[in-house]
Amino acid sequence: MAFRDFREFIEALDKTRDVVHIKQEVDWDLEVGAIGRRAYEMQAPAVLFEKIKDYPEGFRIFGGSLGTFRRVAIAMGLDPETPVKGLYAEYERRINQPIKPVIVEDGPCKQNIIVGDDVDLYSLPTPYIHEGDGGRYIGTWAFEVTQDPDTRWNNWGMYRFMIHNKRLIVGWPRYSSHLGMMLHGKYVPQKRLMPIALVLGADPLCHMVATAPLQINADEADYAGGLRQEPVELVKCETSDLLVPANSEIVIEGEIYPDRTAQEGPFAEYPGYRMEGAKNGVLWRVKAITYRNSPIFTMISLGVPPDDSSIAASLTAALAMKRRLIKHDIPITEVYVPPYGVTHIAVVGVKSGGNNVAKQIKDVLTARRADVNKIMVVDDDVDPFDFDQVIHAFATKCHPTRGIFCEEVEAPRGNALTPCYTAQERRAYRGAIALFDCTWPPERNKMNEVPVKNSFDIMFPKELKEKVLANWETFGFKENK
Amino acid sequence: MKKEYLTFIPDIKDLIENQEVKLTIKDLTPGPRKYDARIVKAILSSSPTRLPDGDVLWVRSWTGVLYPQPWAIKIIGGAGEIEVGLPHGETLRAGK
Repeated sequence: MAFRDFREFIEALDKTRDVVHIKQEVDWDLEVGAIGRRAYEMQAPAVLFEKIKDYPEGFRIFGGSLGTFRRVAIAMGLDPETPVKGLYAEYERRINQPIKPVIVEDGPCKQNIIVGDDVDLYSLPTPYIHEGDGGRYIGTWAFEVTQDPDTRWNNWGMYRFMIHNKRLIVGWPRYSSHLGMMLHGKYVPQKRLMPIALVLGADPLCHMVATAPLQINADEADYAGGLRQEPVELVKCETSDLLVPANSEIVIEGEIYPDRTAQEGPFAEYPGYRMEGAKNGVLWRVKAITYRNSPIFTMISLGVPPDDSSIAASLTAALAMKRRLIKHDIPITEVYVPPYGVTHIAVVGVKSGGNNVAKQIKDVLTARRADVNKIMVVDDDVDPFDFDQVIHAFATKCHPTRGIFCEEVEAPRGNALTPCYTAQERRAYRGAIALFDCTWPPERNKMNEVPVKNSFDIMFPKELKEKVLANWETFGFKENK
Repeated sequence: MKKEYLTFIPDIKDLIENQEVKLTIKDLTPGPRKYDARIVKAILSSSPTRLPDGDVLWVRSWTGVLYPQPWAIKIIGGAGEIEVGLPHGETLRAGK
């Protein structure tokens, strides 16, 4: 049973003690960000800030929706103790069964409607999150809704946006993102204003799916329905035909300029570093703000993992990669994107390895965008989810000259948020990719050329292993991995 | 009481002293409108004593690192709230 709205999710977190309510006044200017960041780094509960300096009673801020795999499990209605592998399997099962949204006439997000000259972005308690940020970031744990004017593809994406002034928002969705592609393909050439809506505080699974690198023309709302196992209720915006989740806490509507810009950033981004700002951000004028009574502003104090971004993207990026590889008939077992790798590292398990298979994987995963820049391919005797095993395979099977392949990535396929690139590479969307083939070459003779792995599982007779396992606790052992 | 502003610059050499320049500044006045951005025409000085009637301008690098000494800024007038230009303009230029 899906959560009807974000507030039901908070109630669920209350029941499992996965949220802290801070009732004393906190400052939107850095204090909220500092508490949120510290909570991630301590792997503490999520935080609901109930009293915000300079803002009316009832205006609240929430941080840390999906900052742990536990909270992802709760958001999916699963046992909070569900192991990561189990979350991956359930996410995969649900994402493969999309459910179309339903359109409703009204919804809680319309309880307050501010339009036109009455719009004042400073009426919302937008936090100034990290010292050194370029401004107050209104779009962190929020997602943007845009539409292709020709195909009517409705895209949800999670991109950073900050307040420029009371009516203007400027952000930096990557040039190669779906929003960037749509903007430069369909609106900029015609000098058309591009309608956009920014959604805060929807069902957390809507936010999660917005982080997923789904294929072009895929409506994320369908996949959010699949994840929720119930359709998402959508309602029309006040000033455009865009559709947004009706139970959202806050919706900000506007139009992106095709020929106007403003300075944006810098911002402490998802890889865990603050990188340079942009002279020419994506600028939009706000035409309406709608919100629930006593709205809850959802945010993320991004930084070193784990946090909502690295945890959510661990699933969404991995399963998107897996779908692509399966579509190309590559014999994979699993794909794991470890949160501490911030989607820049992926581990791909294969049934049968070798350079050719590894290179095929690299080509498929970097064809349109090389968001990942290090790919490790492991045999099926290695559990991709177990980094101890992955490092062992990397150390022992990856040949320093014949197992590592590096190549340049030409613009605009590079990931402009890759800290190890130069600022010039980032700005031009150039980069590089490294492939680590940690598999045995298939041409090696398994009888006399392939070393035999020395592990409990492989090196001992079945009957003996069963005896050892049966007596394990009798021997005095207590702890198992 | 001097007002305080903040600006971000790709290179400290981009801040030209003692002549009219155009730059984006953020208002650091405490309150709910702190960090409001605007584009202004202004005279700058790296030494506040050389611009005694100026306000305080804190300077951060393009990655947000604060230069320890503030500059002085004398705002001559507004230069609009936004710039003419393409979104992702610098990426498009870098691509060429």
